[in-house]
Amino acid sequence: MASVELNDIRKAYGAVDVIHGISLHIEDGEFVALVGPSGCGKSTLLRMIAGLEEITDGEIAIGGNVVNAMTPRERNIAMVFQSYALYPHMTVAENMGFNLKLAGVAKPQIEARVSEAARMLDLATLLDRKPAQLSGGQRQRVAMGRAIVRNPAVFLFDEPLSNLDAKLRVQMRSEIKTLHQKVRTTSIYVTHDQIEAMTLADRIVVLNHGKVEQQGTPLELYRKPANLFVAAFIGSPAMNMLDGTVDGVNGEPAARLEDGTAIRLAPDRKVKAGQAVTVGLRPEHLIPGIAAGTPLAGRTMLVEPTGAQTHVVFDLAGQQVTAIVDGEYPARYGAVFEASIASDQVHVFDRGSGVAL
Amino acid sequence: MANISVLSTPSAARPARRAANSRSSVAHDRLTVLLIFLPPALLLFTLFVIMPMGEAAWYSLYKWNGYGTPTEFIGLRNFQVLFRNAAFTQALFNNGLIIVISICIQVPLAIWLATMLAHRIPGVVGYRLIFFLPYVLADVAAGLIWRFVYDGDYGLFAAISNFFGFANPYVLADKDLAIYAILGVIVWKYFGFHMMLFIAGLQSVDKSVLEAAEIDGATGWQKFRYVTLPLLGSTLRLSIFFAVVGSLQLFDMIMPLTGGGPSNSTQTMVTFLFTYGVMRMQVGLGSAVGVVLFVICVTLAFGYKRIFMRHD
Amino acid sequence: MTDMSSSVRMRTSTRIYLYVSLSLIAAIVLVPLLTTALGGFKTLGDLRTNPFGLPTEWQWTNYTDILFGERYWLQIGNSLIIAALTVLLTLIVSSMAAFAFAHVRFFGSSFLLNYFLLGLMFPAATAILPLFIRIRDLGLLNTYWGVVLPQVAFGLGMSILLFRNYFRNLPEELFQAAFVDGCGYMRFFWHISLPLSRPIVATVSIISFVGSWNSYILPLIMLNSESKYPWPLGIMVYRGEYGTDWQLVLAFITLTILPTIIVFFVAQRHIIAGLTAGAVKS
Repeated sequence: MASVELNDIRKAYGAVDVIHGISLHIEDGEFVALVGPSGCGKSTLLRMIAGLEEITDGEIAIGGNVVNAMTPRERNIAMVFQSYALYPHMTVAENMGFNLKLAGVAKPQIEARVSEAARMLDLATLLDRKPAQLSGGQRQRVAMGRAIVRNPAVFLFDEPLSNLDAKLRVQMRSEIKTLHQKVRTTSIYVTHDQIEAMTLADRIVVLNHGKVEQQGTPLELYRKPANLFVAAFIGSPAMNMLDGTVDGVNGEPAARLEDGTAIRLAPDRKVKAGQAVTVGLRPEHLIPGIAAGTPLAGRTMLVEPTGAQTHVVFDLAGQQVTAIVDGEYPARYGAVFEASIASDQVHVFDRGSGVAL
Repeated sequence: MANISVLSTPSAARPARRAANSRSSVAHDRLTVLLIFLPPALLLFTLFVIMPMGEAAWYSLYKWNGYGTPTEFIGLRNFQVLFRNAAFTQALFNNGLIIVISICIQVPLAIWLATMLAHRIPGVVGYRLIFFLPYVLADVAAGLIWRFVYDGDYGLFAAISNFFGFANPYVLADKDLAIYAILGVIVWKYFGFHMMLFIAGLQSVDKSVLEAAEIDGATGWQKFRYVTLPLLGSTLRLSIFFAVVGSLQLFDMIMPLTGGGPSNSTQTMVTFLFTYGVMRMQVGLGSAVGVVLFVICVTLAFGYKRIFMRHD
Repeated sequence: MTDMSSSVRMRTSTRIYLYVSLSLIAAIVLVPLLTTALGGFKTLGDLRTNPFGLPTEWQWTNYTDILFGERYWLQIGNSLIIAALTVLLTLIVSSMAAFAFAHVRFFGSSFLLNYFLLGLMFPAATAILPLFIRIRDLGLLNTYWGVVLPQVAFGLGMSILLFRNYFRNLPEELFQAAFVDGCGYMRFFWHISLPLSRPIVATVSIISFVGSWNSYILPLIMLNSESKYPWPLGIMVYRGEYGTDWQLVLAFITLTILPTIIVFFVAQRHIIAGLTAGAVKS
C-alpha cells in the first residue's frame, strides 16, 4: 500500500493539451474517485498513473518513488478495466494467477493465493471455467480477483461497472466497498456516474476539460460545491438553476428571479447588490407547504412517482423546477405546488464565472 | 433468417377471399422461385463438377484414349501402375514436402510480418500492399519471372554468383535443388496472403487484454507467447488449411519453371496428371490420378474441419 | 482511446529494426518484378552483363513491337472476354440459387447446399480429363464457353455460400414490410435483395474475375487455337518461341501483368478485402 502523488501533470497529444497541470495527493489506503463527463481526461489520468500512457510533463510518485520512467509492472499497480480484459483462452484460475506466474512465483504459492482471492470474491466454484462461460458480474469479479492476487500498492479502476445492468451495478458497488474496507489498498476509481463516486469514495475529484474543478469528501462536494459545474454534476436529480439579480429584501440579501420572486439568501454569502447570479436549489431541499424560508409556488407540470418519493416538476419564473416530495404527497397535474426553501440551503453562484459565493 | 412462408398462414383479420388468394399465390410464387432459381446452378454444377468427378472414378478403371467409349476394363490396374511409378511417387512425396516446408516457413514469416505491420509507423500501408502484390499475379507469370531469375545464363542468380566469382548455377537443372528453388517461389508468392490473414487475426485480439498483460508484468515477448499467439489459434488453423489446399493444386507455377523435371524431380500430382494423363491422352491413368487427388483433398477437408476447426 | 502514444514511445532502435526488416522483404518482392520490367528495355547482351541496373541504352522497340503487334491485344481481349463472361454468369446463377437457399424453406435444402459445398473441397484439376471429354462432346472445345462454364461451375460453391450468408444477414423487417405490401419472391429478389447486395457482388466479382484472369490449366486444356488464347497461355507460347531472347520474353511478361498491377494499386482495398473475405468465410 502506498500514497500516490501527482505533481503538475500535463498531457498533450501533439499540440493539443488534454490535461492541464493537475496536482493531487492521495493518502495511503484512501479510496479516491475521479469523476467527470466524457472527455474530461479522467481515464487518461488513470492510464498515466498505470503507465499505459506517456506523461508529457510533471511527475507521478507512488509510495514516494517517482515512477515516470517505470513500466506498469515496476510500479506495482493493478488495474480493473471497463471491459474486464480477461484472457479469453485462460481459465479463471489461470487469469488470476497469470501475473504471479510471470513474476516467477512457485506453483503451490500461486494456487494458494488464487484460491484465497477466489474465496474472498465467491469465485471458488468457477476456477476452471473460461471467461466466455461467465456472466458479466462474475467476469467483473474475476477482473478484481486478478488485481487482488497481486497485493499491489495501488488499485486502479477504469469505469469497471459501466457494462453491467443497473441492479448488478448496485450489487457490485457494495462488493467493491466491502472489499476496500477489508483490504484497505489505496484505490483510484474512475467513473462518470456520480452516485458511484458518492457511495464508494473517501474523497472525490471532479474533473472537467482536463482540469480539477473541485476535490473533497462526498458531503463537502454536496454541501459546498465550488462552482456551477460541480453543483450541477453532484446530486441526482440535478440541482435546479435559476437566473436572478441580487437585491435587498427587508435588509437581508436575496436573489430576485425574473418573475419578481425574491429568494432569501444566507447572510454569509459574498454577494453584492445588483450582481447577476445563478441560484441553485436542490430538489430535496424544496419542502412542500409553508415553512421557514422563502415560499415558492408554481403550477405542477409533471408528476413522476417512484414509489417512496415523487418528483414534482413545477413552473417557476418561466422555468421547470424539480422538487422531491414524499410518495404520499397528493401531487396533481395542473394544481398549484407550494414549497419553501431555507435560506442556508440556497446556493448562489456568480452568473459569469460560475464560482460559488 | 426471414422465412417467407410466414404469409402462407392467413391471419384471421384478413378477409377470407384475399387469404385464399394470397395463400395460393405465395405457394405458386415459391414453386416458381424454386423452379427458376435453382436449376441453372444445379445444372452447371452437376454437369461440370459432380459428373466429371464420378466419371473420373469410372474411367480410372479403364484403359482408354478418349475416343469413342471406354472399352478396355482393367480394374484397379491403373492405380497399381501409379503407385509403382517412380514419377508418381516422387510427385506424392513432393506434394508432401511442399506442404510441410511451406507451412514451416510461411506461417512464422506471416506472423512475424503481421506483428511488425501492427505498429503504426508511417509506410505500413505501402509495405502491406507490396507484400500482397505477388498473390494477385498469376501463378504462371510468377513462375516465368522466376524462371528468368533462376536462369543459369541470364538470370539474377547467375549475375550474383558471377559477381562473387563463382561458376554459373543451374539451379533448375539440378535434380536435388530444383524442388527447393520452387519452394522459394511458392513462399514468395503466397506469404503476403497468409500475412493478411494474420493481420486480420491480430486485429481481433482485444487491445485492453494486451494492456492487462502489460500491467500483469509481461514483456513484449511474453505478451506474444502467452496472449497473442494462443488467441491466433483459429487464424493459424485457417492459414495452414490454405497452405495445404494450395500445395495440392500446384501446377501453373511449376510448368514455366521446370515442367516437372529434371528427371521428374519436381513433379506434383497435377503436373503428373497433365504430363502423363493429358499430354498422352491416357484417360484411365489420368483419371486415376484425379481420383487419388480427390480422395486426399476430401479426406483432408473433412478431417481437418472436424479435428481442428470444430470450435471455429 | 487513441494509440498515438505508442508511436511516441517507440525506441529508435526498434524503428530501425522494423524498417530494415520490412525493406529487406519488400526488396525481395520487388527486385524480381523490377528487373523483369527493366529487362524489357535492354538488349540481350545488356541483360546478361547488367541485369540489375538501368539499361545502358533504353530499347523501346521490345515493348513497342509487342504493343503494336496484334497478339498481345488479342490475348488480353480473350482474357477479358472469358473473365467477364465468367463473372456475369457466376453472379446471375449463384445469386439466384443463394436466394432460394436463404429464403425458401424447402425439403432437402440443407442437403442441396452441402452438395454445392462439395465443390469447395476438391480442385478442378482432379476431374480435368472427364471435363475435357464432356466439353468436347458438347462441341464446346476451343470456344470461350468451354472455359467459362467449368470455371463458373467450380466457383459456385464459394459464391453461393457468400451470397446466401449475405442474404440471410439482411434485416428481417425488410421482408416482412415488403410482403405486407404484397411483394412476391421474384420482385423481392429484383427490387430489394439485389440492390442491397453491392458489397457481396463486389466480393464475388473480384474473386471470380481474378480467378479467371489468372487461370492457366483450364484454358490450356480446352483451347487449341492461338487466336483464342488468354494471356497466361500467351506468355508460355511466347517463351516457347523466343527461348533465350529473355529481353523479349520479359517485355511480354511485364505487359501482361501490367493490367493486374495497375488495377491492384487502384482498387487495392476492394481487391484485398474481396480475396481475403472469400478465404475467411469458407
